[in-house]
Amino acid sequence: MLISLVKKEFLIVKKYVGIMLIVSFLIPPVMLWRMPEAAGAMGFTLTVIFSIFMLTQYVSLKEYQYPKATTLLCALPYPRKMIVLSKYCFCLIIYAVCCLVFGIDTIIFPKLGTFDIRMAAIAFLVITIPLSFYFPALYKLGYEKTKFVFVIIIMASPVLFAFLFKPENAVRFSFLDSISTTTIAILSIIIGLVTFSISAILSIRFFEKSDLT
Amino acid sequence: MDNILEVSGLNKRYGDFALKDISFYLPDGCITGFVGINGAGKTTTLRSILGLTNKVSGNIKFFGMDMDGNESKIKDRIGIVLDEGCFYDELTLLEMKNVIAPAYRNWCEQDYIDYMEQFSLNPKQKINTLSKGMRMKYALALALSHKAELLIMDEPTSGLDPLVRSQLLNILKDYMGKGGKGVFFSTHITSDLEKIADMLIMIDGGEIVFQEEKDQLLDNYRIIKGSTEKLNTDTRKYFLNIEESAFGFTGITKQGSDVMEHMQDALTERPTIEDIMLANVERRKKDVN
Repeated sequence: MLISLVKKEFLIVKKYVGIMLIVSFLIPPVMLWRMPEAAGAMGFTLTVIFSIFMLTQYVSLKEYQYPKATTLLCALPYPRKMIVLSKYCFCLIIYAVCCLVFGIDTIIFPKLGTFDIRMAAIAFLVITIPLSFYFPALYKLGYEKTKFVFVIIIMASPVLFAFLFKPENAVRFSFLDSISTTTIAILSIIIGLVTFSISAILSIRFFEKSDLT
Repeated sequence: MDNILEVSGLNKRYGDFALKDISFYLPDGCITGFVGINGAGKTTTLRSILGLTNKVSGNIKFFGMDMDGNESKIKDRIGIVLDEGCFYDELTLLEMKNVIAPAYRNWCEQDYIDYMEQFSLNPKQKINTLSKGMRMKYALALALSHKAELLIMDEPTSGLDPLVRSQLLNILKDYMGKGGKGVFFSTHITSDLEKIADMLIMIDGGEIVFQEEKDQLLDNYRIIKGSTEKLNTDTRKYFLNIEESAFGFTGITKQGSDVMEHMQDALTERPTIEDIMLANVERRKKDVN
């Protein structure tokens, strides 16, 4: 059941999946060209943020356009819980594809550096935190009100990342160098998964209490 | 006869509108029409019994099972046709089917293919290119391809031309002939029910007005036409509603024989379901005022 619902998410945004795949492939080399000092980790994290939020937003837009389609799905034997969880799985799959695409990028453009587990884990943490707020807000407040959250995240992320990766700010993250790569990776993944799980529980609660049109 | 659906004490509030203590049942083997004017509460009732709304009080039992705790099991045995716009329009018929089919344990691909052929539907066609009638047929193909025992439809004939409506009614008859246990459909186009329904339930202002077998209902009511001179405070009480003109009056009553005792020269006619529905709506309005 869950697989079919995840497939449905991809089906309703099938027009944009190809475009986002190309964009996610191009962001790191473009950054390598424009901002070589921050191309690796920042390029990958931006790719993940853009891909997940753009596709999630398209899915939400389509569901906003066809609200009765969600009503029909809920009238079928699909539990509402599964309908919510499919969205979280959808994001995890996009994240996995972004990892794969960036891995290919690093082979084609060796100047991007190596794609290690720490980079993947930190990007995972960075994406799960805003998503963990976004989904419950979406189920509680609806698409119209939450689209502003999306706009803020998309607009602010390049500026925020440029700030964080400036050499004068890098010192604040130097403490991370004293912690082993494996510890950072494990911690990031655990914190990300816990946040994501709490978020999923909240989203399920909100969706189960909602009146469908 | 067993009941395939039993609803008792259903309450649901939506802003100013409320379903008030709704109780009815669907007997096995019947096509049941759920009638009422727009805004009477038909869709809210259907959505509430299907668990699509929150904060519902009351008991809902399908096939003898409580909806609470058996939702998936029950929905697996029901075919659903909602009103228009319940598909993602940009998908093809095949893609939409691939979203819906895995929800059902008893999905029968051969039945689906047969229905698609019977309705001349092309699986590669996009949903947004289908006419209203074709969409309805597609919705039926999806609803009937998993050995559904009960078919629930919300305003299926609304906006359809008479030919498609007639085809739809034949499909429902075929479905019942092939072993369907029941059809429950809401509509405000009551002429469809004259042809096909066995049982009628009327809702108005969020309350059930009546539940009766169609033939019994049509026998119970009479249209009376006569001279306005015969109308007085006593005789008016027999009527649900009365329309008066310079030529006389037309009224609907449930007490045809009593009226005829007072008005021997009046004409009587058998009413349609629509006449009965509208008379009840007007009577209830008068009672409220």
